Amino acid sequence: MDLRLVTLPVIVPLFAAVLLAALRAICNSRAADGIALIAAGSSTVFSGIILSASRHQTIVYWLGNWQPRNGIAIGICFAVDPIGAGLATLCGGLTVAALIFSCKYFDRAGTLFHVLMLVFLAAMSGFCLTGDAFNMFVFFELMSASAFALCAYKTEEREALQGAANFAVTNTIGAFLVLDGIALIYARTGALNLAQIGRTLGASRDALTLIAFALITSGFLIKGAVVPFHLWLSDAHAVAPTPVCVLFSGVMVELGLYAVVRFYWTVFSRALPDSTPALQWLFILFGTATAVVGGVMCFAQHHLKRLLAFSTISHMGILLMGIGMMTPQAMSGVWTYLAGHSLVKAALFMGAGILVHQFRTVDEVALKGRCHSWAAGLIFAGGGLALAGLPPFATFFGTAMLEDAAKRSGYGWAPAVIMLAGILTGGAVLRSGMRIFLGIGRGRPLPSSESHDDSEKRGPVSPVMTIPALALLAIALCIGVPRSFRDGILRYAATLQDSGAYASRVLEGTPTPVQTSTSADIEVATIIRSCSSALIAAALGWFALAGRFRGFRRSLAASPVQAMVNGLRSLHSGVVGDYVVWIVAGVVAVGVALMVQL
Amino acid sequence: MSRRVRIFLFLPLAAAFLILLLAAMEGIPAIGHYRGPYGDVLNAITVKERHTTGVVSAVNFDYRGFDTLGEESILFVSVIGATLLLRQRPDEIKDTNESEQDEGARKVPEPSDAVRLLSLALAAPAVLFGIYVVTHGQLTPGGGFQGGVVLATVPLLVYVAGDLEIFKKVAPAMLGELAESAGVGGYILIGVAGLIWGKSFLENVVPLGPADPKVYSGGTIPLISLATGMAVAGGFVLLLISFLEETLELRLKTKRRGK
Repeated sequence: MDLRLVTLPVIVPLFAAVLLAALRAICNSRAADGIALIAAGSSTVFSGIILSASRHQTIVYWLGNWQPRNGIAIGICFAVDPIGAGLATLCGGLTVAALIFSCKYFDRAGTLFHVLMLVFLAAMSGFCLTGDAFNMFVFFELMSASAFALCAYKTEEREALQGAANFAVTNTIGAFLVLDGIALIYARTGALNLAQIGRTLGASRDALTLIAFALITSGFLIKGAVVPFHLWLSDAHAVAPTPVCVLFSGVMVELGLYAVVRFYWTVFSRALPDSTPALQWLFILFGTATAVVGGVMCFAQHHLKRLLAFSTISHMGILLMGIGMMTPQAMSGVWTYLAGHSLVKAALFMGAGILVHQFRTVDEVALKGRCHSWAAGLIFAGGGLALAGLPPFATFFGTAMLEDAAKRSGYGWAPAVIMLAGILTGGAVLRSGMRIFLGIGRGRPLPSSESHDDSEKRGPVSPVMTIPALALLAIALCIGVPRSFRDGILRYAATLQDSGAYASRVLEGTPTPVQTSTSADIEVATIIRSCSSALIAAALGWFALAGRFRGFRRSLAASPVQAMVNGLRSLHSGVVGDYVVWIVAGVVAVGVALMVQL
Repeated sequence: MSRRVRIFLFLPLAAAFLILLLAAMEGIPAIGHYRGPYGDVLNAITVKERHTTGVVSAVNFDYRGFDTLGEESILFVSVIGATLLLRQRPDEIKDTNESEQDEGARKVPEPSDAVRLLSLALAAPAVLFGIYVVTHGQLTPGGGFQGGVVLATVPLLVYVAGDLEIFKKVAPAMLGELAESAGVGGYILIGVAGLIWGKSFLENVVPLGPADPKVYSGGTIPLISLATGMAVAGGFVLLLISFLEETLELRLKTKRRGK
């Protein structure tokens, strides 16, 4: 592979965005669609080429050709391993799908929408590929700036401005935390290159290192929507245009967790070996809380976009639990699960978008029995089952790998949490699918204000909207099946965690040692358990709707369970001041937990 | 939670956060004792290998030029976001028309002669100074960012002076958009030139000029600085216009009516 390709996943969409902005006056929306699709498509192809080349060797590319001298980095480098390149490919692919979807979604998407989407893609790709702490922060900011504008795109709606404001305030605090952490580390090491920082820090475990780690990690966990930093996510997802939600839930949130992993293994893992038990405990605790809170809140929603948003939060918790186990086996489960979840969640948001487009509402009760499109129904059925972990979706393989790793690391209780999160989120999606497409359960006529529009006469669902979603589901269905995929991911997960080899590769150009490992076999018992959890999810969805359980549901509503859910709901107040309090509480908790050990 | 509960919770948490930060700052080297290697390395190579004396500009536009491209894109996308959020909705335009007919329409006072004189007298030197700062970043402190902001103050001075028709002439939104896009696009193209010549992205492809630095020394550094200056000036002018648009229309109308 020609090394010059390495920057193109970032440069191509960025240049296309600038071009579209300059030609705004003379460019009609069809041409803008075309340019944006070509740019996003070629960015994806370049990321794919880089991915296939990086499988043999971590690719290091010094921008401006400033090679490091005596182990001191002068410029910025891209250090690309298969995990980073794979994520960049995922970003590109989902952007392409979202852009195809939005061709029909907006009656007249202004060119600005395409400009913002392309900059967003460039930022995400750069974030995945870079090997420099400050450069990562710059792309983090670029990602955020374009995301805020995309979130508020429907400026005529007050809710959109409110949700985007909450999103902007919380995520900007996150950016400041990350920047503070990087500044502390720079003061200590004089380095901004991840490999060089990691090497210079060595084993210096003191207050500065620990707190810098706490700040950087908390900042990225805000983006990763982990309890108690998660409150912005449902607000932002409820109001952002659907094609934007596809990218928010599909990749942006996941990138927060990727950054936590990347920073920990390249920079801190050698400095904080004595803190490892505390950290594992912390990540798994936060992850468990996130998985459960997200799952419960997800099942309690009727607004489809909010429902999917809380499901994303829950799945981020599952990923964080895996990250907390820290073994390559667990991390391979994390990456597999992440890929599966991204594809499925993107497809589900498109499903919600189709309903918005047809009926101008995403309230499942108002939509009862109204949609008869088999394609849209398939998206909800497949998506719900995939979230519950039905084989052979990639989410199932991820779950299986995570469960295997959990047993080996002595977290025998973790699979139960993962299963619960899958049942709650999958069950919620299946419940809304049954209500909307099969007409089971309680319904309510559309509000009169919406009945005068031509929603009934909107004709059949356009294939331009269903095909991208079904294609993503199909990929999620097949991707994890080949054994070679799972073995590969295990190898790449181990490569990412080999911080010594990473530093020598970046600073001296030493070839990365090839890891050989085979992933664990998938046992029949695991398949049976996952199938049954998908069945339980479907049963739970049916239980929430069917008339014959009405009495039982009433007694539940009077029980303390309902009171707890209501309490949880009231914490998601929509008041940004509350969110900030929770964020500070989270940062202090992480910092104190690490300092106690010092 | 209520406001009182929020503050009650926030204050102790914020105090704890501050204590953590202070504990971390204990580990920072004292002023004058910082011994990071990066500065020494750059001081040793900048004049020799890049023929520039403005090391800060060399960091911004060369060693870490990719960061600067990212920062510039942040400015670009933030300005677009701001124009998107401030774009007039049909109902808003109606509102201003209605308020026009009100007795209590807000009258913007005319600027005093002193303000007019000072602003107009400053406008021309500001143009000159802005161009100077943009073009000399590779020799002395300054460069595209600082100079671009200075240039963007010129239309603001005209606006303050109350010459609204002139303001609309010197600062059309179209020009701002074009300057901004051309600036970021030019930056990318300078980087791509490196790729075309078989080098790295953003690697220098232009002759370095005399080793005793002149205005035209430094290869790509002054070019990138120029592109940055364009993007920054265009971006800020565009922001200004977006924020002033409504008031501007209103003031122009009252002015015409007054005549």
